[in-house]
Amino acid sequence: MGTASGIIKALNSGIKHLAIKRFTLRYPEQKLKFVGDGYQFDPVSGVGIAGLKGRHMLFHDKCTGCQLCSIACEGIAEAIAMVKVDEKWKQNKKSIMPQIDYGKCVFCGLCVDACPFYALYMTNDYELSSFSKEGLIYTPAQLQVKPNIKQDAEIKISDRGATHG
Amino acid sequence: MISKLPPGIKVEQKGDNDKIMTLNVGPQHPGSGHMRIIVKIDGDYIVSCDPDPGYVHRGEEKMAEYRNYITNIPHLERPVIHDSCNILYPYCLGVEEILGIEVPERAKYVRVIASELNRCVYTLYWLAIYGIFLGHSTMFMWPAGDRELLIDLLEKLSGARVTHAYFVPGGVRNDMPSNFEDVCLRQINYFEKRIKQYDSIFYSNPILKSRTINTGVLRQNDAIRLGSTGSVLRASGIDFDLRKKEPYDVYDNLDFQTNVLKSGDSYARSKIPWLDMLESCKIIRNALEKIPKSGSVRVKLKPNPKAGNVETYKRVESGRGSLGMYIISNGKPEPYRVKISVGSFRNLICLPYLLKGEKLGNMPAVYWSLNYWPVEADR
Ligand code: SF4
Ligand code: SF4
Repeated sequence: MGTASGIIKALNSGIKHLAIKRFTLRYPEQKLKFVGDGYQFDPVSGVGIAGLKGRHMLFHDKCTGCQLCSIACEGIAEAIAMVKVDEKWKQNKKSIMPQIDYGKCVFCGLCVDACPFYALYMTNDYELSSFSKEGLIYTPAQLQVKPNIKQDAEIKISDRGATHG
Repeated sequence: MISKLPPGIKVEQKGDNDKIMTLNVGPQHPGSGHMRIIVKIDGDYIVSCDPDPGYVHRGEEKMAEYRNYITNIPHLERPVIHDSCNILYPYCLGVEEILGIEVPERAKYVRVIASELNRCVYTLYWLAIYGIFLGHSTMFMWPAGDRELLIDLLEKLSGARVTHAYFVPGGVRNDMPSNFEDVCLRQINYFEKRIKQYDSIFYSNPILKSRTINTGVLRQNDAIRLGSTGSVLRASGIDFDLRKKEPYDVYDNLDFQTNVLKSGDSYARSKIPWLDMLESCKIIRNALEKIPKSGSVRVKLKPNPKAGNVETYKRVESGRGSLGMYIISNGKPEPYRVKISVGSFRNLICLPYLLKGEKLGNMPAVYWSLNYWPVEADR
């Protein structure tokens, strides 16, 4: 008796789900919405600003080539290499800027915490796949580009369950 | 055929032991995780069992000796990427003690919220695998889907879906985003409603009960003798939860209970984490109420902080039981030694005792109920 009613109860709670909306995110058509423009860091207060830890963004007009980001990454993934750039900036005497290898990066954001000049931030861009290993290495010029990511889906909760809408 | 065997290896003689068969479960994950369980069976019954972990040993402890206190963060959370806040918790508490840092009050509450969310994420993943181990594929889909609610919250909070690298010595990396409290409250309330439904489909399901009740019974004194921790210990009737017994950060200000079951079988061991999740929802709500509305969340540290000749041991309650870190400093920017003591490994020790005399078909039900995470046990 207990067994039969227990099984019926279990089946019943499964059947109720026929009426519940689908929760799955249909990924390439729908894309998740994130808070803010990516993880940033304020070196004055020493506290970060919440956001997705995605691909980096480098502000060439602020980077001084101090290599602190590269030193921070040394013990983590050794993803940052300092490379020569052709541009001339008065704050960057050596004309070197970080180049990031996303085949190695673990997206911890500790390089952003290390940059004292507001030059390196992270963005919402997470679609970094490439057909070759070289394609994963982002040069300072590529890192300068502001990504344009479509963000439309968010978790919505109603009486009929949660959905990505 | 090799004519000469290496020393110490003997060919088994034909005799009485003939009917005993040795079976390798794993290490290619046919329901074992990244490890091997060598079971000897007589017919359908297990006569002995020898768990053989170590396939995903990454030398986390050694790696920690070459990195400074900050760059240790991303790799130390790798053993349990679903529970990365809880594995960093004892490390941060320890480093804060040896560096003499006082964490701001708001950061302590944010840490509690993040670590409770993480505990639920881990438990859901564990529960999903427990479901599929027992052939209950609905129980795989539901937790895997509901986990998304919490991952979404953690992503808003820390910027990453798993491996958050969110805790640092001195607080947390960033403050909560604006309106996080409301979103968190709404999703936690819905989540609580959802996991209550697991009762009718899983925990009250007669089929699950018949497979797990009275299988792999761990008696109270054996649980103590074998040194088990966490949900395994609480399922055997011992009320031991570090959040209550040795409260760290602000756990002593929050109202919650620990869940204890008496029977010590696989069913009790699988139910305790679920009850803990319901409790975690209460903790998060309570923490959101009590959190100071403003204030700093991170103490500014020097880039290469150094501690004196000190050592410390800190432990916290993770999703798998007590998780401790023993940190020794010798005045350099890098720790001299970081020893990680994990609940998974200590619970695994129970496995040979629990499986003896069980049917082979019950092995997954007993094995996974130990709340064991192979990668964490290997470190
Ligand atoms: S996010 Fe972490 S791993 Fe990636 S480049 Fe920065 S410091 Fe290195
Ligand atoms: S990005 Fe920042 S830390 Fe890195 S070299 Fe430029 S200024 Fe220095």
